[in-house]
Amino acid sequence: MKARSLNIFSVFAGLCLTLALFQVTAAKEVSYLSLADYTGPIAGLNVPADMGLSDFIKEVNEKGGVDGIKINFIGIDTRYDVARAVSAYKRYRRTAKLLMVNSISTPIGKALAGLIEKDQRAQIVPGDGEYQAHVQRTFLWGPAYQDALAATFDWILEDWKAKGNTGAPVVGYLSWDNAYGREHLRGGQEYAQKIGIKLLPPEFFPPGTLKHDVYLTRLAEGGANYIHAGGVDPTPTNVIRDAYSLGLTKKIQFTTDYWGPTELGLGVHAEALEGVVITSFFQRGEDAKANSFVTDMWKRNRGSMEKFNEVYGMGVSWGITFVEGLKASVKAAGFEKLEGDDMYKAYQTLKGLDKKGIQGPCAYSDKSRRGSLEVKIYRITKGKALPISDWRTAPDAVSLHKF
Amino acid sequence: MRIYRTVILFLAVIFTVVTVGCSGTMSPASKPKATLEVIPAEIFLSPALIKSPVSFKGAGFKANEMVSVEMVVPKGMEIKGVGKDEDAVGLAFGTADKEGCFSAAMGPTATLNWFFQVGWTPLLTPDFKQAKPLPPGLYQINATGMDSGIIAGSNLKIVPPPKQPQK
Repeated sequence: MKARSLNIFSVFAGLCLTLALFQVTAAKEVSYLSLADYTGPIAGLNVPADMGLSDFIKEVNEKGGVDGIKINFIGIDTRYDVARAVSAYKRYRRTAKLLMVNSISTPIGKALAGLIEKDQRAQIVPGDGEYQAHVQRTFLWGPAYQDALAATFDWILEDWKAKGNTGAPVVGYLSWDNAYGREHLRGGQEYAQKIGIKLLPPEFFPPGTLKHDVYLTRLAEGGANYIHAGGVDPTPTNVIRDAYSLGLTKKIQFTTDYWGPTELGLGVHAEALEGVVITSFFQRGEDAKANSFVTDMWKRNRGSMEKFNEVYGMGVSWGITFVEGLKASVKAAGFEKLEGDDMYKAYQTLKGLDKKGIQGPCAYSDKSRRGSLEVKIYRITKGKALPISDWRTAPDAVSLHKF
Repeated sequence: MRIYRTVILFLAVIFTVVTVGCSGTMSPASKPKATLEVIPAEIFLSPALIKSPVSFKGAGFKANEMVSVEMVVPKGMEIKGVGKDEDAVGLAFGTADKEGCFSAAMGPTATLNWFFQVGWTPLLTPDFKQAKPLPPGLYQINATGMDSGIIAGSNLKIVPPPKQPQK
């Protein structure tokens, strides 16, 4: 009888111990959802960006995570399709401790913004100034698109004067015919007027357009001294390739935004791109290659630098921000109670966070959704993107527009 | 004894309230089922679908909610960009009006990606050489209310393209 009691007690004790061990060893995990494009039209830039992010997360996890919490990276290939992104978000929105969603395009970010509000979590998007005008749960990767365009206009004016010209330069703008393409002008147009730049009627074309001669010719005939070519690389590369063929690059200075020529475009049309100016919130070209924090991570995880693309650094920067947000949210709420809303609150406390030189310091706060305030101006010189300015604060063009 | 009677009466009242409540919210007779119409319900894959895309009309959803229209991926079928563990791919989305009705059409990217399964060139143009069009068959289409979880289903039939007259 005594032995039987002992056996029952042993089994019970064993069960309790197993349960206790399970509790202790059960993975503490949070999730990050990337609504990305891995095989679609902008895969060339999104793939290296998510490589940077996933490598950063992998290394954090290998070192034990954040206070023992591992990060689960969920990468979904939307192929740049909004309906697919909405459907994928539907699938993953109930994931336990899904703390952040990265929407790869402006239209995806806009489609999901309402659901993100309802679900009380946060998302990051490229540069939609609307979320700075009406502060919500959507954060930008860097300064708003319109701020960057305003910074480009400032550079144009400096360049115009430096060349000994008087009066105001005439500037043409052409970009994709979608929410992204138009976003830059919502405040950018007002800024041009404010500083005395004459902006020609903008030209828009569908993504995937093969030739851009019609749009370029119209802007050239309008008297453009400068043309700002939008779209995600290789689109700006292709626009400038067409301008080069038309002989326009000899007399018109071309500028581009964040998604202007990277190693992708330079590898194919270096000659046509010579002299092109890029305004960027993250390090480009030779600058990016000189950032050992980024390149060491690439070498550790990807080997040779042969296929390195500077957008990799931007992904690392997303990772830095997420990990710091996670630290702050765990500190405030603890792991057990941690929810998307805690991450949303934590992101608002990250002002001043150092991004290892990849971009300017984080500018998130309760009133700011800008990922940083600074941009750098680069020029393609002898096939390389070289900085021609230091980091400079982009003007606030968002506040000039009525949203 | 009196306490028992009170408890039984209380339980009876609760039961009646719950039964009446449920009959009002769950009975199909009192709340029409959500519906989905695929327009057209039968297609063959051709570039004409880019300009005249497949569209969807639905009713019976919660007012003002977003509705996601998805195609159920048939078992064993692989779709470019869709994980093997995923059972559906989004085709379109819309927002229900005050009456709970919505309409949505497939965008060109959705038609190219999910019906034709094209590749994309470095020029950002669809590459039909890499295309792997969906095979003919009957495909289940579901529309789901993102707030309510209400689901309406229908079908899309893909038929082989008509044979070209021999010259």
